[in-house]
Amino acid sequence: MVKQALLLVLLGGIFAVFYLVTEDLSELYNNFGKTYFQLNGLLETGSRNLVTAIYLDYRLFDSFFEAGILLVAVAGIIWISKHDLNEKNAQFMLDRYKTPDLFITFSRIVYPMMLVFGFYVIINGHLSPGGGFQGGAIVATAILILYYIDHDRETNIKQIVTIEKLVFFLIVLVASLSLLTRGEFFTNFMPLDSSVASKAIYLVILNILIGFKVALGLWTIFTAFLREGR
Amino acid sequence: MDGATMIEWTAYALQGILILLAIAIVLHKNNGTIIILIASFSLVTASLYIINNAPDVAIAEIAIGSAIIPLIYVISISRQREFIVLDRAMDEFIFIGDELAGIGYVLLHRLAEYYHLELNITNDPGLCSLDEAMDRMLCEKTNVDLIVAKDEETGKYVFKGKRSSTLMKKLQQMTQPFDNIEVILFKDSEFGG
Amino acid sequence: MNPLLTFIVVLIGFYGLATSKNIIKSVFSVTIIESGIILLFLNLGNFEGGGIPIVGESLTNIVDPLPQALMITTIVIGSTVTALALMLSIKVFHHYGTVEWAEVLGRKDGE
Repeated sequence: MVKQALLLVLLGGIFAVFYLVTEDLSELYNNFGKTYFQLNGLLETGSRNLVTAIYLDYRLFDSFFEAGILLVAVAGIIWISKHDLNEKNAQFMLDRYKTPDLFITFSRIVYPMMLVFGFYVIINGHLSPGGGFQGGAIVATAILILYYIDHDRETNIKQIVTIEKLVFFLIVLVASLSLLTRGEFFTNFMPLDSSVASKAIYLVILNILIGFKVALGLWTIFTAFLREGR
Repeated sequence: MDGATMIEWTAYALQGILILLAIAIVLHKNNGTIIILIASFSLVTASLYIINNAPDVAIAEIAIGSAIIPLIYVISISRQREFIVLDRAMDEFIFIGDELAGIGYVLLHRLAEYYHLELNITNDPGLCSLDEAMDRMLCEKTNVDLIVAKDEETGKYVFKGKRSSTLMKKLQQMTQPFDNIEVILFKDSEFGG
Repeated sequence: MNPLLTFIVVLIGFYGLATSKNIIKSVFSVTIIESGIILLFLNLGNFEGGGIPIVGESLTNIVDPLPQALMITTIVIGSTVTALALMLSIKVFHHYGTVEWAEVLGRKDGE
């Protein structure tokens, strides 16, 4: 009981400090960056969606290491859940006789729609809300529905992880192409004075690569979990 | 009431719901119910992201928080209610005919009841056909919690399990009165090693 | 939007992290803290009357896109980190036979 009271007092103290900080937050935070993005974002990167402009052009290093962390986390999950003994085929916890037929039928209808929506979100990422990360998550969810439709589905995790690594190197390669055309790493490979439409080529390519990377990573994660749930 | 004030009040209401959901998640005892709460928590946060003019973040939150996160929580919580027993003895110790009625089953059932676990007894031929010397590896590398075997020479039944597990200590206590049951604990290995 | 109300969510997460007796409960608390901090970051760039950060969609002043770009990566990473923690908890259960912190750490005074 004493411990709980102490804890509450401590949390109250943290809250008080936070309250004092928010008093003069406007002195710490200014609008210069925002104004710059609004005025130059479209012309410099070719992306109408300024969020995409930041994570694919201005701050590509962030996305690059994010993809790296995803790869490391997937590798960790596979290593921890590793079962050595005769386990080529994944046997999933989903039971054909317990899943209602109505659910399977609806899954069949929903699956292609979700897949198409995911690809739309990926490809249209520079024009509307969306992009590689979000679309990849939607595609992964669509693949998850696939397991409900086809219970005896076998997944070769090794193959998926190999493709994921290849896509990771492709991201680095596409991002490094700008060294030849612009003379600097991790930015758009189209010249700075080219048109907005031609700059969008780079954005679409990188969005598709990141989307595949995220979708494959999440696919591996939930396959490992479903395999665990035998 | 114009649009701006309505959005403002909606934001306050959603934040209140968010705080209530967070308190419910922290204080609730049943892990199964919390999964539903965490899914609704993610839905409310996604609506708050939209009110904060961040549709990109809201799409990401809905795509991940609606299916993948609840799924992995469900699987890991359901895994933690199971006690997997590999039956290698193949005689009347656990199965009498097709029914689970032997002495060994009664013992294990009592253990599972004590810890609120679900007993899962398999005699999967793929795992049973392995050499007995691999038992220790089997315990460490797979999720099998307990192996039941029969010693041919002495006629004793042998329970094999991990020394680190609290369940095995309890089982050792429970089997002390029985003369024909022996508990073997494998030596502790480093976790994950 | 009030940042103080959002910060209360973060503090509730801290409280859960400090008092949880169960490994799964700790993972839930981390998820709560993560959501609260994402909301705080988005709150920083947002202001009244701002538009979504898409050029051409909103003619008015847009909100700051930088925190949003950072938070998208946070959500994807957060989910994978949650998955990693849960996979570890499954392995801890099969090693120790329990997921209660006090028993896993070998303390009998677990309060």
